[in-house]
Amino acid sequence: MSSWLSMLPETLRISVPYACAAVAGVWAERSGVIHIGLEAVLLTSSFSSVAAAVASGSLLVGMLAGVLAGVVVSVGHALLVERARVDAVVSGVALNLLAYAATRLALRGLYDSASNSPSIAGFDLGPKGGDVGAMLARVLLDPVTLGAALVIAASPWLLARTRLGLRLRACGESPEAARSLGIDVVRTRVLALAISGAIGALGGVHLAFDQHRFESGMSAGRGFIALAAVVLSGWRAGRAALACLVFGALEALQIALQDVSGTSKATTLVQLLPYVATLVVLALGIGRAAAPRGLGQRVDDG
Amino acid sequence: MDGLLLELVKVSRSFGATRALHELDLRLSPGRITAIVGENGAGKSTALRLCAGELAPDAGEVRVGGRALHPARPEEAIRRGVGLVHQHFMLVDGFTALENLVLGAEPMRGLRIDFAAARREACALAERTGLEVDFERRAGELTVGERQRLEILKVLYRRARAVLLDEPSAVLAPSEVGELYAALRRLADDGATVAVVTHRLDEVVRFCDEALVMRRGELAARTPLGAERPPELVAELTRAIMGREPPAPLGRPAAPDPGPEPVLELGGVELRDAAGRRLLDGISLALSAGEIVGVAGVDGNGQRELVRVCAGLERATAGTVRVGGRDPFAGVHPGPAAVRAARRAGLVVVHEDRQREELVLAASLGDNALLGDLGAGHDAERVARRLARFAVEPATPRLPAQALSGGNQQKLVLGRARDRQVRALVVSQPTRGVDVGTARRIQTALAEAAAAGAAVLCVSADLSELAALCHRIVVVRRGRIVCELPPDASEDAFGRAMLGVEAA
Repeated sequence: MSSWLSMLPETLRISVPYACAAVAGVWAERSGVIHIGLEAVLLTSSFSSVAAAVASGSLLVGMLAGVLAGVVVSVGHALLVERARVDAVVSGVALNLLAYAATRLALRGLYDSASNSPSIAGFDLGPKGGDVGAMLARVLLDPVTLGAALVIAASPWLLARTRLGLRLRACGESPEAARSLGIDVVRTRVLALAISGAIGALGGVHLAFDQHRFESGMSAGRGFIALAAVVLSGWRAGRAALACLVFGALEALQIALQDVSGTSKATTLVQLLPYVATLVVLALGIGRAAAPRGLGQRVDDG
Repeated sequence: MDGLLLELVKVSRSFGATRALHELDLRLSPGRITAIVGENGAGKSTALRLCAGELAPDAGEVRVGGRALHPARPEEAIRRGVGLVHQHFMLVDGFTALENLVLGAEPMRGLRIDFAAARREACALAERTGLEVDFERRAGELTVGERQRLEILKVLYRRARAVLLDEPSAVLAPSEVGELYAALRRLADDGATVAVVTHRLDEVVRFCDEALVMRRGELAARTPLGAERPPELVAELTRAIMGREPPAPLGRPAAPDPGPEPVLELGGVELRDAAGRRLLDGISLALSAGEIVGVAGVDGNGQRELVRVCAGLERATAGTVRVGGRDPFAGVHPGPAAVRAARRAGLVVVHEDRQREELVLAASLGDNALLGDLGAGHDAERVARRLARFAVEPATPRLPAQALSGGNQQKLVLGRARDRQVRALVVSQPTRGVDVGTARRIQTALAEAAAAGAAVLCVSADLSELAALCHRIVVVRRGRIVCELPPDASEDAFGRAMLGVEAA
């Protein structure tokens, strides 16, 4: 029984990296930059956060280092695409592969391990104990989760109501029009990707701190699921985060079902559940969603 | 409003090997409407874009209010009070008109944009200038006229004291053109500098104070338009533009005897979009051999869809298209197979948007000239013939199509269409953005096609073109033919039919 109730805190905990990556994707693509390198953002930020936490002994320093890494990767993508004119899909794939290899290499170099880093302490705020209330309190009091919730909640408003949001969306819808009004499209997009990187990085940091260590390839495709959520939401931050919550719930359900079913073959099938659900929803919903019109369009300087 | 003098001083500018402007001296003075006229590729748009900081000169100086425009960027030009309305509207379709208006110059209230203040200012501005727009609608849903007004409001909202417009009237109905110039006149009277690039000389003579004639990147003549505006003025301007005698007026071929069977017949053609709205609502038309029929109407009333159905790109949800009594699309899926079927039947179509529907801009002129006839053999010969048909300039087959000016692109498109086996010709906006001389040649070619026995259906926003060319003209509104008018019907009668206003 407790495993069913515990699905609520589990859902929230599981959803954070997905939601961060998805909202990061929305920020990037609303500005017109195709961003399939979310996986790279997650991986580099989780590794950097753990490495900095191990080196400094401070989780806060780790968190900042993670966010910084996400910003660097994301801005790097923006500069490659907008300044060096690299194809955005190529750049994204390259960053994903590079991030996977580079974090493995760094694991080997720093900790002489092929699979994982040494353990770090978590924030571990909130009451101890195994009951659902305590679990929920711990999830909700986690500083990374709180930070992520804050920026995710603020994102729709920031995109809709602020000067930066309006200009960023203009660059995503019609870069030509934006430029004709004196808006620096490249600079706006780089800024959008910096914000995107910071938000996505919170997801990576959460992933690592939740496991109390970095594991090679620990993003495990979350960046791609997040991309699906971006498309599904019609490039809207709030809906994308909501889609990730649903996905998190499915994954929590899957874990709960595993507890029930034990180690039968059915377990493997149950693990497919969230992914099959994503595919089905994408297939049903994708026709209605409209991408930003200027997605992937560059502007030429006169 | 303080006057803002714009000057180009010995300005040169090239695009690759093409020289657009050569030591051009140009002055745009406050308080008047200056028209800039010239052939395609004469450098009119380039001159405007230089004034607006969108291009930097290779040599010479752009001066705004006596000081050099530096750096040559749009934001600097906007800051100094110069606003440019582009030929192709620069609106964000997904944004509301209000969002478009404030974009780049947002009134702020703390962190957020103060849309309430923006709305107040927008309404005040609209009232002062007479440029009415529904600010809550998305830009993509506005009519062409409203989009144009919004573009001008955008410029004024940025406190522009010089308003430059590139081909503002090409897409407007006659009454809207009058309103546009009335608004521009108010601005000029208020002290603003107003400059208009246009091909429509009748407008220049009717509404402008001065005409600057450009030829091959240089200023060829400056014609002040005083109180006296004799009708010969148009011919005089035409001569200055072309640098030689204007072409003889177009002789419309005599109306043919209706044959026993129409060559091109549309029978109750209906087209619905995915949401079930009728884009075409029972269009019926029959054209005999040798007949030229015009289609007039405000842009976006089904003209584009009508042409696409004829081309086989859309399948009519009801009704048929027949060429010589046969339906070329029977049993064919819409798309490439239908386009081929139409061409086989001798139904040749020229779409309105040459850059998106006719040409592959990044491909060479040679490849573009052969589009649709690849593998038919005699390539070099065919390319040379099609480039020469309307004298595409430069006629270098290796050059990418995007290196051509708009008018030259159109020459290529028509040269290609006219070179095919034609039983029925459907053309849309054949001379949009094309200079006088070339326009006349294109119109003559259409008349010749008809004289040779083809049925010609011509969609155009230019009423004087339709009046000169067509035997009869149908007016479309909301996907229906609302009436048929003789070519000598008054502009007023057309305007009322197009806008659906009953005669008073």
